[in-house]
Amino acid sequence: MPLDTASISARFEDRVLTPVLTGAGPGGVRPRWWVSPLIVLVAGGLYGAAMGSWSIQTPERALLIPYAAIKVPMLILITTAICLPGYFVLSTVVGLRADFRAAFSSIAAGQAAVTLALGSLAPVTRFVYFSGIEHAGALVLSAGMFALATCVGYAVMLRRYRPLLQKNRRHRVMLAAWIAMYVFVGIQMGWMLRPFVGTPGMPVAFVRQEPVSNAYVAVGKILWQSLHEVRGAPATDAPRGRPYR
Amino acid sequence: MVINWLKQLDELLRGERVRGDLLLQGKIDLRLRVFVPLAIFLGCAYGFFMGFYALLGWRDQALMQLFATTVKLPALFLLTLAVTFPSLYVFNALVGCRMTFHATMRVLVGAIVVNLAVAASLGPILAFFSLSTTSYVFIVLLNVALLSVAGVISLSFLLRALRALARSRAHAEAASEAEQAMSRAQGLPEQGGQAPPPLPGYGDAPPTSPVFTRLSEREDPVLAAQRMRNAVAAAAARRADETVAKRESVANFILTIWVIIYMLVGTQMGWILRPFIGNPGTEFTWFRPREGSFFLAVWNAMHQFFGM
Repeated sequence: MPLDTASISARFEDRVLTPVLTGAGPGGVRPRWWVSPLIVLVAGGLYGAAMGSWSIQTPERALLIPYAAIKVPMLILITTAICLPGYFVLSTVVGLRADFRAAFSSIAAGQAAVTLALGSLAPVTRFVYFSGIEHAGALVLSAGMFALATCVGYAVMLRRYRPLLQKNRRHRVMLAAWIAMYVFVGIQMGWMLRPFVGTPGMPVAFVRQEPVSNAYVAVGKILWQSLHEVRGAPATDAPRGRPYR
Repeated sequence: MVINWLKQLDELLRGERVRGDLLLQGKIDLRLRVFVPLAIFLGCAYGFFMGFYALLGWRDQALMQLFATTVKLPALFLLTLAVTFPSLYVFNALVGCRMTFHATMRVLVGAIVVNLAVAASLGPILAFFSLSTTSYVFIVLLNVALLSVAGVISLSFLLRALRALARSRAHAEAASEAEQAMSRAQGLPEQGGQAPPPLPGYGDAPPTSPVFTRLSEREDPVLAAQRMRNAVAAAAARRADETVAKRESVANFILTIWVIIYMLVGTQMGWILRPFIGNPGTEFTWFRPREGSFFLAVWNAMHQFFGM
């Protein structure tokens, strides 16, 4: 039976792309609330699977594919769940409660757009892996893909948010607050859910079997050590300044 | 009951319980028997999230630290209110912004509820970082940042509400004075007669002034009295505006001073009630020795975190 690509793509546009872009599904009906999370689960899972398939020479390493497929949607959905109460209360306090539904559906559409973009980049990622790339290169590639997809998601979110921004200037503050919260929590969530690509030589695990750590503290230490090396002084782990009481 | 309380909390956060028109009438629909328990509950919620850091290391008495933090956080806010409320009330009374005791208390409790509601809503972020971070200074600075965000929102709510309250009192008093002046003006002759007596404060023009000269010599006394009433009304309105402006500026000054006092007492209260988070290197204790200050501690934490 031949594959009717025209029909499939038309249905994909009607049921997925158009609702995400415009907030209205077929016949102008508002899509159900679970459409965006479902897109995140499916498209995010697809990209996660591609991301985890960097090096699958052993059956054990092949486990990274389902692990990453689960973790990419987790990263987005749990981060949203953590930030949502704060966003809700802040929206209420600044007097934007009436627009909360519209604002949050714009944000959810942005997240769906990020994962759709990531999902569409999954074949590219797989192709680059197939062509041969080192671990560091795979990490940079993933970072680049996430950055690109985030730009697309931000554009979609802004497009959906625009009527609200025109309606009330306070929406700008709330949008900035959401982005700040989401990025702040998302970076740590991504750090917690490592590995996505899988470092060679390290045991395969859903999350790293090591004591929990903080992404910002880790980056701060690296920067501090680099600064010391540039200055020519020996790097030290010992904290400076007066001890905190 | 719980749903009703949550509904009232929602209305407070949406600003419906402290609407400008209600405040201008001097009405504050915040029942203390609802909002004080809500403040305690929301404080406990944030304290609970704050205490998560102690659980991470599973130190001895980690649960005790969690319990202590849960109890101490609402205490921090309510004790700060207890310490600073008398000063706000008395300052206001002394400078003539006579807001009622209950009105002021309700607005302050409302502000604390807003503060703790915002803080509690940011609690999941704090809990996530508490459970995924070993760095004590990071958690200290994160708590300071989250409570600062909640504090700024709460203070803007408080200033808005207190200014509206002060304005309502000033309006009420100015209106009362204007009414008195008008009632005195009503004593002017309606149908002929002698020149009216001078009106203290408003119509204290000497009998030789043009108004009285016209009244006694040439004009119809009824028209002259009408003109007099209009002059008194205009003067009363001008004086009312001046009174409102003067009271508002005084109220703003007092509120600014009081907010500074509130912030200083609040931060020092937090310092006295520490530990809230629980330094992993020390044993559990309900209170630490009284030494140093909050600002010095934050400065040291920043030094340590940024490696300065």
